[in-house]
Amino acid sequence: MAPLLQVERSTKRFGGLIANRDVSLAIEPGEIVGLIGPNGAGKTTLFNCISGALHPDEGRIVLDGADITHARPERVCRLGIARTWQVVRSFGRMTVLENVICGAFRRTSRVAAARARALELLAFTGLAGKEHVVAAALTLADKKRLEITRALATSPRLLLLDEAMSGLTPFETTAAVELVRRIHGELRLAICVVEHVMEVVMPLSHRVVVLDHGEKLTEGPPAEVARDERVITAYLGDRYRGRA
Amino acid sequence: MLGALVALLYPIPFERSGQIYYETVGFLVLLNAMLGIGWNIIGGWAGQFDFGPSIFFAIGAYTAALLTINLGWNAWLALLGAMVVSAAICAAVTYPVTKLRGHYFAIATVAMWMIAQPIGATWPLINGSQGLFIPVATGGGFVHGVLTMEFPGRGKGLGFYYLSLALFTITLLAARAIERSKWGFYFRAVRDDQDGAEAIGIDSRLYKVIARCLMAVVFAAGGTLYGFWALAVFPDQVLEVNWNILPMMAAVVGGLGRLWGPVLGAVVLIPISQLMATTLGTGPLAGRGIDLIIYGAIIMVIAGWRPNGLLSLPWSEWAARLRGHASASGKA
Repeated sequence: MAPLLQVERSTKRFGGLIANRDVSLAIEPGEIVGLIGPNGAGKTTLFNCISGALHPDEGRIVLDGADITHARPERVCRLGIARTWQVVRSFGRMTVLENVICGAFRRTSRVAAARARALELLAFTGLAGKEHVVAAALTLADKKRLEITRALATSPRLLLLDEAMSGLTPFETTAAVELVRRIHGELRLAICVVEHVMEVVMPLSHRVVVLDHGEKLTEGPPAEVARDERVITAYLGDRYRGRA
Repeated sequence: MLGALVALLYPIPFERSGQIYYETVGFLVLLNAMLGIGWNIIGGWAGQFDFGPSIFFAIGAYTAALLTINLGWNAWLALLGAMVVSAAICAAVTYPVTKLRGHYFAIATVAMWMIAQPIGATWPLINGSQGLFIPVATGGGFVHGVLTMEFPGRGKGLGFYYLSLALFTITLLAARAIERSKWGFYFRAVRDDQDGAEAIGIDSRLYKVIARCLMAVVFAAGGTLYGFWALAVFPDQVLEVNWNILPMMAAVVGGLGRLWGPVLGAVVLIPISQLMATTLGTGPLAGRGIDLIIYGAIIMVIAGWRPNGLLSLPWSEWAARLRGHASASGKA
């Protein structure tokens, strides 16, 4: 079976800085992939290239047979990839419900239908009761939750979560992990998470991809990756040795 | 409800007493309110400040005048023609600049307006700076006037008041329908976060073009009305900076991004401006710009006092209190 998303030798430069070099990556339908690495390793750049916010200088990105290497973000979304952002990008002056309705218009142009779908998803992600709150007034945890809901409203096949759990309290993090599990379990989506919190990524992911200095260091099941000497040196540190 | 009644009956006393001037003030209020609603679509909802909307006012006025003078079209047909031409030109000139964001988009719209001025002053098709004259009708009653936008003699003030009221009402209803549609949601999404909007599949450039074309259509209708009112189209008049600024100010002072904002803004600003011009702008102080200075000061006070617009005042609370008083005194 062909992978849902295939990144082939993607390279992205910013002037003299090489943010991604020859990165290859495949995501199968229904799989949860963790993307980890130290700050500046190129994780967000890779996300931006996949979602169309940036385009790689070399290499190819293919989604289910369609070449999206140079597709604009709105086309990538239409083809089935939705993302969230490290820095939240909710529509601050619109209500929670209106935010999600905007996403739901991906599947219908009728306001009533979009509204019904948005309400359904808000109940699913646990934002019921906050529909009419202006998005800017939400807590960070709720803003991130709203962004996930809005992304889900576009009916994606692959969900890219860029640090959806960073900056949250331990309690909020647990709730967010629970949400990602439910999205995976009930909506059967492929999910790719960028995350710094190892306690979150390792148990959540089926497979982990490690980036360092823009290149792919290794990939594999979480338990194996956590024992890899190179990963421990580059990222996890000695503190993590023996814990996994 | 009450507002609609006031708007409908407003000119009657002035028609009786012969003070046509106040009907013209009403006409200007409605015209600017309508333009303000149009500007609010791009500026308030889509969040792209357009400082050169008078281009489309001019395109509307010229297109309608040309269609009437040269092809003998009826005024209402000419109005539709003006709207179509204006939207087409707007789409063509706007698409390239939608790549720009924020201040840069605004600067591009100013540049367009500056380019339009020499074109308007020199282009032979529209008779350059000598302008176009729309022939005056010689007969016909009020109904004929409404059908042709031509009112010979005394009925003109009343006629144009109701024409502007009709176009204003259509604009308001259309804007309300758009606000509640998918377009309305998408415009605001692009305003609040363009990258976020694109990531959920919204083509931000397309929706900026749509928003500006909707504004262009409203301005073309306003320009047509103005042309038939003035019976002449001069480049320096239809490209006047006030057609850029007044609708925008009406929207900002009244409440940016709110449907009734520009309406309230126009109702407040236009009469003050007229009042200043007819009192301080005449007599011994005439020609010194005192009226404009005081007018500017009033706007600054309003803007400083209510930066989110007059609509942000607790109107509903006041209305509730009034009602409370009324029922209390009714019982007593």
